[in-house]
Amino acid sequence: MHRLLDILASGVHDAKNQLFAAESMIATAEKAHGVDLGEARYAIEAAAGRLSRTLTTYRLLRHGASLAVVPTVVADLCEEVLLAQAKQLERAGVRLGLACSVLDEWPLDRDLVGDILNNAVQNAGRHARSRVELSAVLEGGDLVLRVEDDGPGFADPSTAAAGGTGLLVGERLAALHVRRGRSGALLLCNGGRLGGAVFELRLP
Amino acid sequence: MSAYANKRFLVIDDLPLARESLRAIAQSVGAFAVEFASNYQDALYRIRNNTPDVILCDYMLGDGRSGQQLLEELRRFGLLSDDTIFMMVTGEQAYEQVVAAVELVPDDYIIKPFSPDKLLLRLDRISAKKKFFAGYYREKRRQDYAAALAVLARNKEDEAGRPYRFEILRQEAEAHLASGNAGAAEAAYRSILTDYEFPWARAGVARSLHRQNRHVEARAEIEQVVAGTPSYFDAADLKASICMAQGEHAEAQRVLDEVARKTPRNFLRKRLLAEAATLNGDAETARAALADVIANDSMPGAVSPADQLALARSQVAAGDSIAAEKVLLGLRESEVKGFDLALQASYVALLALTSPERGAPRLAGLRPALLDTELPTDTRIDVLRAALAGADAELAERQARSLMAGPEAKKVFALLRKAYTLHGRDADLREIQRQVALERIHHEPTAGAGPAAA
Repeated sequence: MHRLLDILASGVHDAKNQLFAAESMIATAEKAHGVDLGEARYAIEAAAGRLSRTLTTYRLLRHGASLAVVPTVVADLCEEVLLAQAKQLERAGVRLGLACSVLDEWPLDRDLVGDILNNAVQNAGRHARSRVELSAVLEGGDLVLRVEDDGPGFADPSTAAAGGTGLLVGERLAALHVRRGRSGALLLCNGGRLGGAVFELRLP
Repeated sequence: MSAYANKRFLVIDDLPLARESLRAIAQSVGAFAVEFASNYQDALYRIRNNTPDVILCDYMLGDGRSGQQLLEELRRFGLLSDDTIFMMVTGEQAYEQVVAAVELVPDDYIIKPFSPDKLLLRLDRISAKKKFFAGYYREKRRQDYAAALAVLARNKEDEAGRPYRFEILRQEAEAHLASGNAGAAEAAYRSILTDYEFPWARAGVARSLHRQNRHVEARAEIEQVVAGTPSYFDAADLKASICMAQGEHAEAQRVLDEVARKTPRNFLRKRLLAEAATLNGDAETARAALADVIANDSMPGAVSPADQLALARSQVAAGDSIAAEKVLLGLRESEVKGFDLALQASYVALLALTSPERGAPRLAGLRPALLDTELPTDTRIDVLRAALAGADAELAERQARSLMAGPEAKKVFALLRKAYTLHGRDADLREIQRQVALERIHHEPTAGAGPAAA
């Protein structure tokens, strides 16, 4: 079983190196010719992200999956999601806002949580009319990361998680974050501050 | 103009395509001078000769080496200045598992592919963090730990320190440990653990307990870490050291054997393996490990006279006096003259064991000093063996007593017994053992008074 994971990981690793080469060539061309090829770079990063997520899904859904928890500055994490997604949403006429009121470090799997947030923002961007907001707050000792949009909302929030791989991974990822005997949770609902879908990741 | 225009970048990667990509990205954030290193040795050479400002190092360097090992070696030899940024670049998740566990971490790590913007953001944050800790680093480098801890105490109160609260606690624990205050270090690591079960903090507790000679507790803590994070090899090293202190040399060797096989070019670990094998009576493994260290640890200055002496020691233990003598005589006389007393004593004791006519007179010359100086454990054992071989019961007894009464008694007992048995003097050792035990009982009331009164 481990062997299969190793083979998959090494394939993904090679593909990501190739994609990174492509991205760096584009960055060089942008600099040399003073052009913005952000869309092409975004497409490359999205492809790499998709590859990683597939591997992550496989890894997390097996038994005995473990996280790589590091102290993470929450504001920095949110800022990176903004950096990765804001321009792409803008092209679709959607504004991505950020509201982070958490100043401290939080123990979490920085890369997987970042990946899940990127995925949630992409999804929200597809359904939003004009706005998506990413926020981070502390509630009852939990870190709450929310992605809200002003779209029509989930058809049925209670079954939404079963539909998408991203949400399935989100649920598993939240549950694996355990601290002081409590574990995290993924909550989906409609309404929120923007009136559309609400994606909420709670981490203890 | 970019803030990184005047910075010197070093890109370390064994794959040409990946190297080229990293350079292109570095140049697109404004870096003007970007150097390459294609392998481990090349990287060490460049960093030694002209430390870059920013190092972008791939985690997988090929040839059994990793970026993590390079980072550890750079820190071990003090080759990274406080201002140098070391960023690990990784294509897969394996490194995240490592960085989440270990005590020694890079300034940051980044997953490929990444945009120039993301790199820039990360570099800016590292610079801000380095600026925040600058005062602490300064005192730490001067080894003024009281001042360093005072800076951290101020940092803790500072609003700007909120994003770094775990880092401040971690540095606090390390500063306590470095200053020799293992009790305070233990408390600092435990306070981190009340917040989150980080493997490196649990290992820190084990290390602090080990330093306080509380080996049973240390062992329980480190077993927990090793079981939970098998890829955390330093934890395995620490477990082995604790096992040795408890006299469980076979287990220590088993643990080290296993991790050394996964990290064939980690020569600090090989040295530790040799120590465990020597204590375990497996002279052949010790000899092979040390020969590997001396032949292949290519870091300049890494192979020390202590390594040569350790090799000779293992050869003596393996019964190969000729090879041991060759190693000893390979050390230049001028070099031996420059040794401190402990190394000189080991040298002449080992020489006396392999070539009595050369070594015995020199051992006799050092004898008065050896009778009443504090010596490290290795040296005491060398002297003890040579004294037994030369029928100098008094010199042998002096060493045996100190060892038996010291904190490493459990560690060395099997070796002592073997040495005494070899010369048919088991009764002497039993008598020394009895006397040390009596003395301990005699001193117990005073030793126990502290806790009882508190």
